Order: sequence, then C-alpha cells, then structure tokens
Amino acid sequence: MNEKNIDALEAERDDLHLSLRRREFIGALGGAFAALSSGCGLRPPKEKIVPAADLPEGAVPGRADWYATTCQACPAACGALAKVRDGRPIKLEGNPDHPLSRGGLCARGQASVLDLYDSERFRSPLAGGKPVSWAEADAAVLAALKQAGASGRAVRVLTGTPAGLSAAAALEAFLARWGAKAAVYDPVGHEAILEAHRLTHGRRALPRYHFAQAKVLVGFDADFLGAWLSPVEFTKDWSRNRAPSEEFDLMSWHAQFEARMSPTGANADLRVPLAPEHERPAAALLGRLVADRTGWSGPRPPRASVPERAERALRDAADLLAAAKGRALVVSGSSDVDTQVLVNWTNHMLGAYGATLELSRPALIAQGSRAALSALTAELAAGKVGVLVVHGVNPAYDGPDASAFRAAAAKAGLVVSLAPRRDETAALAGIVAPGHHALESWDDARPGAGVHSLVQPAMAPLFDTRSAAESLLAWAGKPSSAHEHLRGVWRRQVFSRTKAKDFEEFWTESLARGAVTVEAPGLGEGRFDAAAPARVKTPGLSASGFAPVFFHSVAMFDGRQANNPLLQELPDPVTKATWGNCASFAPEDAARLGLVEGRLVRLSAGGASAVLPAHVQPGQAPGTVAAALGYGRTEAGAVAANFPTVKMLPIEKEEGGGADLYALSSAASIAVEVLGGMSALAKSQTQDSLTEPFTGRTRDVLRETSYQEFLMDPRSGNPEAEKGHSLWPGHEYKGHKWAMAVDLSLCTGCSACVVSCYAENNVPIVGKAEVRKSRDMAWLRVDRYYSGDPESPETAFQPMLCQHCDNAPCETVCPVLATVHSSEGLNMQVYNRCVGTRYCANNCPYKVRRFNWFDYAHEDGLKNLQLNPDVVVRTRGVMEKCSFCVQRIYTAKAEAKTAGRTLKGSEVVPACAQSCPAGAIVFGDLNEAGSPAARAAEDPRIYSVLAEIGVGPAVRYRTKVRNKKV
Amino acid sequence: MKRFTLFAALVFLSGAAGAAEKAAAPSPFQRSAALFQSKCAKCHTVGRGDRVGPDLKGVTERRTREWLSGFIRKPADYLDKDPEAKKLLEKFNGVRMDVPGLSSADADGLIDYLETASAGGAAGGTEESALAEDAPEERITLPEEGRRLWVPGLAGAFLLAAGAALAWRTAGGGPAAVLAVAALGSLYWSAGGRARHHLLGDQQGYEPAQPVAFSHKTHAGTLGVACLYCHHGAEKSDVAGVPSTNICMNCHGAVRKAAGQAGPSPEIAKVVAAWERRADPKGPRLEWVRIHSLPGFVHFSHRVHVNNEVRCQECHGPVQTMERMRQASSLSMGWCVNCHRLAPGAAPTHWKRAGGPLDCAACHW
Repeated sequence: MNEKNIDALEAERDDLHLSLRRREFIGALGGAFAALSSGCGLRPPKEKIVPAADLPEGAVPGRADWYATTCQACPAACGALAKVRDGRPIKLEGNPDHPLSRGGLCARGQASVLDLYDSERFRSPLAGGKPVSWAEADAAVLAALKQAGASGRAVRVLTGTPAGLSAAAALEAFLARWGAKAAVYDPVGHEAILEAHRLTHGRRALPRYHFAQAKVLVGFDADFLGAWLSPVEFTKDWSRNRAPSEEFDLMSWHAQFEARMSPTGANADLRVPLAPEHERPAAALLGRLVADRTGWSGPRPPRASVPERAERALRDAADLLAAAKGRALVVSGSSDVDTQVLVNWTNHMLGAYGATLELSRPALIAQGSRAALSALTAELAAGKVGVLVVHGVNPAYDGPDASAFRAAAAKAGLVVSLAPRRDETAALAGIVAPGHHALESWDDARPGAGVHSLVQPAMAPLFDTRSAAESLLAWAGKPSSAHEHLRGVWRRQVFSRTKAKDFEEFWTESLARGAVTVEAPGLGEGRFDAAAPARVKTPGLSASGFAPVFFHSVAMFDGRQANNPLLQELPDPVTKATWGNCASFAPEDAARLGLVEGRLVRLSAGGASAVLPAHVQPGQAPGTVAAALGYGRTEAGAVAANFPTVKMLPIEKEEGGGADLYALSSAASIAVEVLGGMSALAKSQTQDSLTEPFTGRTRDVLRETSYQEFLMDPRSGNPEAEKGHSLWPGHEYKGHKWAMAVDLSLCTGCSACVVSCYAENNVPIVGKAEVRKSRDMAWLRVDRYYSGDPESPETAFQPMLCQHCDNAPCETVCPVLATVHSSEGLNMQVYNRCVGTRYCANNCPYKVRRFNWFDYAHEDGLKNLQLNPDVVVRTRGVMEKCSFCVQRIYTAKAEAKTAGRTLKGSEVVPACAQSCPAGAIVFGDLNEAGSPAARAAEDPRIYSVLAEIGVGPAVRYRTKVRNKKV
Repeated sequence: MKRFTLFAALVFLSGAAGAAEKAAAPSPFQRSAALFQSKCAKCHTVGRGDRVGPDLKGVTERRTREWLSGFIRKPADYLDKDPEAKKLLEKFNGVRMDVPGLSSADADGLIDYLETASAGGAAGGTEESALAEDAPEERITLPEEGRRLWVPGLAGAFLLAAGAALAWRTAGGGPAAVLAVAALGSLYWSAGGRARHHLLGDQQGYEPAQPVAFSHKTHAGTLGVACLYCHHGAEKSDVAGVPSTNICMNCHGAVRKAAGQAGPSPEIAKVVAAWERRADPKGPRLEWVRIHSLPGFVHFSHRVHVNNEVRCQECHGPVQTMERMRQASSLSMGWCVNCHRLAPGAAPTHWKRAGGPLDCAACHW
C-alpha cells in the first residue's frame, strides 16, 4: 500500500470516528454543565470512623511507639526495635543499645514482621486438623501424657536449643513433670565446631568470634557476613576494620577459601576457589605453615596436597597471620570435625583464643546435635514413644533424613506441635498447640554467656494462640502466664547477678533497653590438647560426580521463612536470582556440560533427586554444584509454593518455588544430568560486568583502588571527573540539603537495606513472572559487578537508588510536572500528578525509577496490616522511586517543630541507613557544617556515579578499597 | 480528531483557570474571635451571664482600653493591686485568671472583638454571629488575581465564538456547535460561575447526620470544653482523632441529662451503651461518618499546625457554633497553599512561624 492510500484511509477513519463521537461529546459536555449548574457535587463514598472504646492512657492514635525486643528470625538473637502504629507492629529495626547487634538488622529480621501477618498461621488449637478450644487441646495432651506413662511409653520433646532462660525453664518443668527427655537438634547446626572444641579444648562449646579484633582474617567457607552464626554482629565487627584510614595502617586483610561464591567471599581481599574435598588439606597445610612460623613444637598433621593456586595463597596467608599473632583469626564453616580441629590448632598457635575468639564466655546458640535427632527417630520407629512434643524445629522438612522422620513419627502415640504456623512437621501432628509470633509473646534469648535479651510483645495476639512456654507449663501442671514466668526466671537468674537493688526498676530498665549484660563466670579458654592435630586423618579421594555445596542463603536461610514474599523476592546477593534456587556451576564445568543459564538439570544421589535451573557462577570451584537450601517447601503456604502474584492470563503457569535439597545434602557426590527444558531465572540484574558487552567500553560506575595505592594517594582510583556541562543555572539550598554517601568499602551486599526499604515504603512485590520482565519494584537495589578472570573474579557491590540529582533528567522530561525538585534537594515524585508516561524512567541514567504496571496484589487483608500508614500505596499507572524516606524527614521536622528547636540533619535516618549493619550509608544535611554527611562530601574517596553527564547526584559513593597485601 | 482534543483542552483550561484559589486568609476579626474561643471562652461569655469569670458584654464601656489591655496581658498585677480587680476576684470565689500569654496586638484585637460582640445584639447570638460562616453564596471569595481572570476568560469566550462562526462556514455544524457551547461555557465561567461550583471531590459544606446527635455548640461553645481535651491527638500526633469513648465517659459517667431536658438524654444513652458493652463484639458501636477527608497521596500533620498556634477554627470554622459538625473549608490544595504562602508580615501574628513549606513533598509522599 502506498503512502497516499494510507493517508486517505486515515482521513476516512478520522472522519468516521468524528461523526460517531461528535454527538456523544456534545451530549456529555451539556450533561456536565447541567450537573455543574444544578450544584450537585460528587462525593466520595461514606467512610465510617469507629473510635476505640477504651484507649489506654498515653496511647495516641497516629503516633508510632517503639518497643525494644529481640529478633527471633534466627538463633542469633539480634536486638530489634518494633515500630508500632495504632496497635500493630509495622517495622523492625536494629536496636543500637543491644550488646551484640548494636543497631542494624539483617534482611530476614527485617522481613520477619511480615511473618506476623502470615495467613498460614494457625488461628486456634487443632486436634486432628479440626479447630478445638484450648481446654480441649490441653485435655487431649494431658490424657495422652498420662496414658504414655501408664503404658510405659516414653515422652519426648524435640526442640532446638532453647533460645533463653524462659524457654529452658519451661522445658525443664515439663521434662521433670513427665520424666521425659529432650532431643535437642538445630536445623542450622554448627556441630563440627562444638565437637572440635571438645577434642582440642576438652569442652563442647561454640566460641564467640570477635572480628573487630582481627587484623588478619582467613575464612574457610564460613559465610559470616551472610548467614553464618550471627551475621549482623559479625558484619558490624568486620566493618570496623574496613574503612581505610589515611593516617594509620588499620585496614584488615581478609582471605576467603571457598567453593561457592558467598557474600563473604565476594567481600574478601583475596578469594580462592577451593572445592570441599580440598578444605581439610588446605586447613592442614595452613596449620603446618603457621606452625613453621610460630615455632610449634608439638606433633603435626600429615602433609596433604592442595591445588597450586590455593597453596600459594595459603603461604601468603600464613605469613600475614603469623605476623599478626594475637590479632589474627581463622574461621571455618565446615561440617567436618577434622577441619575444625585443624582450624582450632591454627587459632591456638596464633594466640587467637582469648583475643579474636573466646571460649571463656562462649556463644550459647545451636548447641544441639544430629545424633539426638537420629536417636529419637530410632526410638520413634521402634514405637517406644507415647507423646512427642515438637517445638521450634521442622525435621520433617529440614532433617537430615526427613522421610525417615516422617515415617517414624507416624508410630508415635501422639505428636504435639507447638509451631505458630503451618509446616511439614505440624502436618504430622495430632494436636497443634500453636505458639505466638515473637512480636506477640513474652520470652527471652541468651545468645552468648552473660548476654540476656528480652522479647516483649508489640501487640495483642492476632489469633487464639498461646506462647509455647505457657503450653509447656500448663502441661507440666504449673500454669503461669508467659509474662509472670519470664519475670520469675529473670528475678532468680538475671536480677540476682546484677548490682541492681530493686527488681521492678531493673525490669523496667531492661525492657526499655531490650537487653542486659551480666558478669558471666569466665570458664577460661581451656587447655589446648597438643596431640589433637596429629590425630586428623588425611581424607580419601572424592568419588566421581559433583561435590554438593548446599548452603543457607541470605534470603532463605533454612527455609523457615519460605512463605514470606519479601524474602522470596529479595535477590540473592550473589546470583541476583529471586523466587527459587538455582544450581550454580563453575564456568568451566558449564562449558564442559554445555550448560547455559536457565537450562534445567537433575541433581541426584542415592534415591533422591531434584530438578533446578542451572546458573553459571564466576569464581565457583570447578567440580562443585552449589544451591541454596530452604526452597521447595510443601506445607508452608502459597507464597513458598510460588503462587504468581500477578496473573495476566488464566493459562499462565508458574513452576514451583525452587527445589528442596535437604534429601541430597548429606550425599558425598551428586550426579548431574542435563535436561532438555529451560526455566529462565528471575534475576534482578542481568549485566554482571561494568564493561559494555558490545562496545567493550568500561564505565567507572564503581570505582575501586587498593589500600596500598590509597595510602600513597587518597584520591587513587578516583580521578577528578570531567565536569559535565549543564544547561541549568543550578539550585540554591538555603535550608537543608539532603544528601547520602555510600561507602563501597563497607557495603557487603547483605541486602538488609533492600528489605528495610520494601517494608518502610510499601514497595509492592510483583512475583516471579514480573521479575523476569525486569518489573521488580525495588526502590533500592544492590548491584553486583564482577571484574577480572571469570574463574576467580573480583566482586563489588553497589547499592543503587534514586540519586536525587540537582539537575535531574527525569524532571525535565515529565510533561505533567509530576517529578520536580524540592528546595531541600529532594527529587520529588508527586503520585497524584503522574499520568504514567514513563518518560522519566527512560531518561533516568541510573535506572532507578519503577513503574506500577498493575495494582499489585493487596487482596490479602492480613498482610496489608504491615503497610506503613505514613506512606501511600501507589496505584496502577504511577511511577515511583526512592524518596529519601521523605516521611521520616517530615516526621523528624514535625518532632523538631513541636519541640520548638531546629532540625539537625543527623536526626533523619532513612530506613536503609538504619538497617545497615556495616554503617555503609551516611545520610544528612550537606549544609550542616561538621555533620557526617558534610564530612563525607570532603572525603578524598567520594565520587558521583556518571559525574561526566553533569546531573549532580545527591547520592555519592566512596571508592571501594581492597587490601592487596598479597 | 485533533481539533476535538484542542476544544476539549480549551474548555478544560478555561474551567481550571476559573477555579483558582478561593478562600482568603481569615480577617483580623475572625482571628480575634478564634482567640477568644481558645483562650477566654472556658470561663467567660459575651452576654450569656457569668461563668467562672464575669460576663464580658459591655466590658469596654465599663473599663478603659488601657486597663483591659493591661489586665489581659498581666492579670496578676491587677489582681494584687487594683481595687476593682480585687473586688471581682472576691466576687468570683478567688479564682485567678491565668496568664493567657498574648501580645498587646492580640489583646487589642480581643478588645475590638469584645466591643463588636457586645454591640452585636441579643444574648446567645453574639458568638455565633461573630464567627458564623459567610452565607453560602459569599462563602467562596476569589483572591485578587482570581477576580482578574474575567479578562482572559472573556477574551477566550470571544475567540471561541469567533472560531464557532468560522467553523460554521468551513467545517460544518458539528464543530461549530461544540465551539459555541465552549464559548458559552467560558463566558459563564468568567462571569463568576467558577465561584459557584465545587471542584470534583470538594466537600465544603458537607454536614452528614451522625449516629449520635453530638453538638459541638453545646460542648465547645456553651460549656467551653477545650478542643484539645477531646481531640488530644491534635497536638501530639499527625491525626487529631475521634475521641475514644472513655473520654466521653469522663463527664458522662455522671452527666446523663441534656440541659433543659427533663429525663435522661437518649443521645447520651447511646454513648453510655457503647461504653458499657465495649467488651461485647456484638455490642453497639459508635460509627461516626467521616467528614474531613483529604484526597489520596496527601499527608497533613495536625501537631505541626497546632503547635504553630494555628487555631482549630482557622481550618475547621466556628465549630463551637455548629450544632452538627460541618466541613467549613474546602481542604483543597489551593486553600492549603494560601496560608503556606503567607509571608511573615501577612500571616496572623499569633502563629509562631509564618507560612509553611511549599515543596510538593511537604504533603505529597
């Protein structure tokens, strides 16, 4: 068809359209005038206000209260502050007064507030799956307990390590009443460390690590910045030695030997890929090398060979470790007792005990053993157990042999579950006596000797649940409220060890602070058994196939929070995959197997198998397959099963949310079969390198240097950028000028800020299908870039958020002025002006604007209780982005104005900065001389991303500095 | 098609221009009236007899301006020394007047107000007449620049009419009709129609029936209960809040009878029933109909305004005269911004700070 024809047709169509619409248009116009003239306005629908009948004194509607409590998302027991608005907790933040975590809270802790509003929580006690009253449930449990006693069958409690004194006392009371025994098993165990210390120091104990004291640090597969033991505490400590100082050579040196690329390895100064079978030889070699340098005279383990590259790195590490004797630390996350013995030996030679790690006042989490669980399983299988009470663990999913446990549990007289929500073990239970969520209950935690942390309720229980301690006490015949029980225990065991005079005063003060530290009797560091290292055996060669490296990821941990959509959508810090796990392979293995990202592979060992999409991971050790645990849960709920959040078409189908790998995790080697199918990973970042793939041009978006160069020239790696030309006269900021500085040397990529931002700003969760289309809504994302050799790359993380440019490109293109500049330097997004042209997103050089393609699911009324009432929920067709937590800025202003003083910039702490355990994010007022933000702007390491385009970002970064001692 | 879009845009624009900011800042007299309500009305009336303190009707005739101004600002000086003040103190059971903390300008304003209110006429009507809203037609007053809009409006109407004539010759009847209607609309709008119609969502004057016939006139007016006694959130929180029932029961635990009525009041009985059966999920609840409702994406902080000494009445109107609660102001953005724009000289003197932030993000989060 030629051009003329098209023109004619269009004209014809226009005419037709015109004639059809003309009458309607005139009619509508007339109607509108008539409506206006008659004066009838349009009113929104009637809203009702039902005030509280009896508002407690001091409660003010619309004002947030903060309660100090303890995060219970994992055993680390970090201090948390619960923000409560109008009776419901909406946000958890780190408690700066807590002795361990000292502010900051990890991604899982931040997300755990959403667990409170999980629709899969039990709403009442259940008997045989049917709701019953507490009286009926108690009667059934007591009858079963009596019957077990009468018939000579045992009463057993399967529990994780009791978190604190209250739980321990309740358990004790129950065991004493029924002559029962407890099997203590921890899903995320550190048994090898406990066992190794029994062998080397004569005491089964988990040391407390003091990373802040370690100037030279060597890690073997210990993801202590990710999910290992107490990541918030460790990140806080580790980061203290990571901000490079110009005056003093204080920056620590950190080497990591590991098979998979962990967040910790990604942050190490030297990272060496090391397959699991080489771990023990490497630990032995390091021990021998350190022994040479420290004059160890005792027996040594036999020589073992390790790959050449690792050996070179180990020699360097040994030099530095020995030189930093007393300020050095070796940690290992290995589950191999021999490896841990060798690590203990090395630490002993380095004088680490009593300095960088401590046995005298040990950590008290994860004291359980797998043997306890297998003994119990055997007992159950033999039909010897009358009543089994399960508390806080889920072995039917994450046990070493879940299917055996399931079969054995069926032979128990009665299984009673204290789980607060649906899980695989509760599904086997005859009676479910649901416990509270941590934000509804009185409890405590004792993560380390002498550290006592209180859990206090931030709201009345949502459902007809009862604290687990209350249930155990009721069955022990000592019914008591959890509150009274906790106070009693604290009066006896904590108050008596303090200098406080009045218990009530002590109690109120402890509650306000959230935790107390008491003098714990020092047990001494113990005597090192010099013969222990020599008893270590040389490992046999591994079988053919791939060595499994199944790990606890930052987002999913052991899978206990699998039904939490915030965590499902949180990109893994390293793979950047969301909604499900993937099988990572080293680049050379992938090339050999012909694997590309997304190709389905079947992993099998013994009788078990799992199908996962493949992922090619730079830096992974060849011969290994790595995947995150915690996915593929069957009884956790719709989110864990990856129900699509936005369903465009009824035929749209989603594959399940990853695969369960627990059945494979104890295998020595895994067979990998490449399948025909594909399943694209839902990744939040697809460009892994700063080098553009087609032009080969590298942009220094992420600047880095070495510490050695930095000491010579603080501006190294950070050349003065060519000032971009600007068409605009610039802005004058008379009052505040809000700005942020992110220290890339401190950022570990842990993603706590990402979840914090989601929770604070009501950022919608979009589901797997939409993430695949790059429609994830994160206002703050953490970009991860690799550089150098893909077999052993260097990794860096960069939090990327709206840069609040002075000359913002988004502002100039908005046709409706929906995004404009504030007098304080904020780039404001005005939702009610936005018509959704998306010009701004297209013109944003940082790609931080997010568009609401849909009204994202809000049909789960219970989950909506978590929404922050201070921030609107955006509707479909509206652009959104980071606001610098403008609600916090204006709340702080209101506080200051109410109190009649001027606002200090440091009073405003955005959600991301508050949550950051490393303190990498500094926010404040540039116009306030001497403030941290103003000082950061003077830092020689400070730079703007894409400074050459002259947009003048208010968010700036500090160069990443790597300590390249070797 | 393009032509139509243009017409529609023109119609829309002429309407939007006419709907410029409506409400003006309160007059000095209104401010003084509000001041009287918040500071004096707990103890004094104008022409409704003595309460805790004397009736102030005609007080400007009984005393000199200096005496009144001095007494208002520093009552203690007078109560201790001045013989007339001492006499009054004795008469009113030794209840000493609080120091209201007013400037001499405020005091002068108050005296002016008392003068006018005293002259205002019959007992019982003074406060109402002083603070009553303007009649509905006059309620919306256009600011200067708004009034001047009739020139471009008229010009627009003329152009549209010319366009209609042209269209009648060239494009035919349809477009001409549209233009003609637009011209008429523009004419109407510029001739003052814009002041008569509410914008979409404008709830000014909304006065729904409530489940309990609660009278602000009785509570805040006659009895002089301070606004913040019940709406205590207003100075501590962003939301003022509808009072919880226990606050009602602080008084209605004892008071069950409305003034001038014989038996117990059925309206109070509803509140008492809601209180007594508060633990019962099926019990009666007080479901108030929401009146003041900001559009979506807007945040308003009561505490910032209240702590800046912005009087409740400056936004909510003469609540103490309202038998049934009514939305006195438009709550439109133009209405908000009118005060936020006030420079130190132009703003009411009793505000601690003049004006407010004009950034979008100050309200739109």
